[in-house]
Amino acid sequence: MKKSFRDFLADLDGAGELRRIKRAVDLRDVSALVNQSPQAMFFEELKDYPGWRLAGGLIGTRKRLALAMGCAEKDVAARFEQGLGRLIEPVMVEAAPCQQVVRMGADVDLAAIPYPLMHLFDGGPYLSGTFVTSKDPEFGRNAGSYRLMYRTPNETGIDLVSPSDMRFYYQRQLDRGRPLEIAVAMGVHPYEMLAASYKAPIDMDEYTVAGSLHGAPVPIVKCKTVDLEVPADAELVLEGELLPIGWTADEGPFGEFSQISGDVKWNPIFRVKCITHRIDPIFYFLQMPWENDWLAAPVTEAAGLRALRNASVQPVAIRAPVGSCGYWTLIASIKKRPGEGKNALLALLSVSEVKLAIVTDEDIDIYNPDDLDWALTFRVQADRDTIIVQGARGKHIDPSIKAWELGKGGLPTTAKLGIDATIPEGVPKQLYKRIQYYGKGRVKLEDYL
Amino acid sequence: MSPTASAIIAAIRARPQQFAELADAHRDVPWPDFLHAWGEVRRANILGRDDNGNYRIEPCEDKA
Repeated sequence: MKKSFRDFLADLDGAGELRRIKRAVDLRDVSALVNQSPQAMFFEELKDYPGWRLAGGLIGTRKRLALAMGCAEKDVAARFEQGLGRLIEPVMVEAAPCQQVVRMGADVDLAAIPYPLMHLFDGGPYLSGTFVTSKDPEFGRNAGSYRLMYRTPNETGIDLVSPSDMRFYYQRQLDRGRPLEIAVAMGVHPYEMLAASYKAPIDMDEYTVAGSLHGAPVPIVKCKTVDLEVPADAELVLEGELLPIGWTADEGPFGEFSQISGDVKWNPIFRVKCITHRIDPIFYFLQMPWENDWLAAPVTEAAGLRALRNASVQPVAIRAPVGSCGYWTLIASIKKRPGEGKNALLALLSVSEVKLAIVTDEDIDIYNPDDLDWALTFRVQADRDTIIVQGARGKHIDPSIKAWELGKGGLPTTAKLGIDATIPEGVPKQLYKRIQYYGKGRVKLEDYL
Repeated sequence: MSPTASAIIAAIRARPQQFAELADAHRDVPWPDFLHAWGEVRRANILGRDDNGNYRIEPCEDKA
């Protein structure tokens, strides 16, 4: 059965991972409160927003991500990869909870939805937990996640700087002097958010990936004012169009998923024509950077697994550490045959904007930083076991690539580093025999306590 | 223009400011009202940005 955002909240509640706050909270205090809570948070009452509730920090740990995906923490990549194998088409429905309340035309007022100020240096209030749908006549439907900065009651900024299918769709419309219709759904299940994070081939519909993860079709409903569909069980939907003005409007800074405050960017404007929501809506406050980073990790890891298998390398484990925002680093252990340490690096460095890849043998626990350091120390000779690739595709929010030297709308490049921390060819494995303590297994500490 | 919008413009005219500084200075205004006022300021088309993300009044508008 397809689960909804509310089903996930119930799952968190059942696992003791959701803290409920009954006291009315000012929206300006939510960010700091969510940041202080080890659990996800649910605010029953929002001051000045009668009828609205708010849930935040939902995917703030790998544990809660695994809970959303119904698997063990170490299996999230394999679970996501599974979702790419058997795509399930969405199913159209006529009536949808997300359209119980409809406001269009002069009734559109973004200030009437809980639009939070999240970080100290942000250029304005932001919506962060978005599932954005667009369409191109040739390439079909696309879904991604894009932040939206409040500008006026019917306009937002949108970060469309990085390369994406929707940026491509927008550019095609811009070339014709036309706007691009989009629909922004908020309060969808994490499977939809994961599908939106996935850099699918341009002709792959992310709704089918979400369906596969659910094991059931995603119910969708036609929008009221644009020729698009949205997940029917969403909490809130904004319909409208990206104006054909190119990258000309100030947007940002925003607390980026890189864990950095970011800077002012130049981006298009989203004009909202219609707002629909449930009659008792729950606003989703996606806490940056942690929720974004944990949602990115399985997507990056699954892409790494696929790249390794395509290179005929057998992976054992893979990890996109949260220190690299679940995005820029991949660490994998493999069952190695001669030369495959390097083949694995080439494969991993081909994934998106991954700029550091480390490959170890299967005896290394890549989740244990000390074990990884040990492999890096004793299995690596820097002149022999590193690969540097120059001029690969980069991402603006990495300060080390000096994106400010680019013009408006310009795309950056980055260098990539691979480290082969597998036992070098020609070095006997027995030289890595670990210390084992005499009496281990026979002597028990508890017998002496 | 609403009193809050006028106050925001006066504050930015006095010195470039972060959005959060403007929000802090209007904690007594309900958040939806503050957002409406900010929308008025945006629509006046007089805002610019500096390298630190501060809002400023664009020089040509300042002269006017």
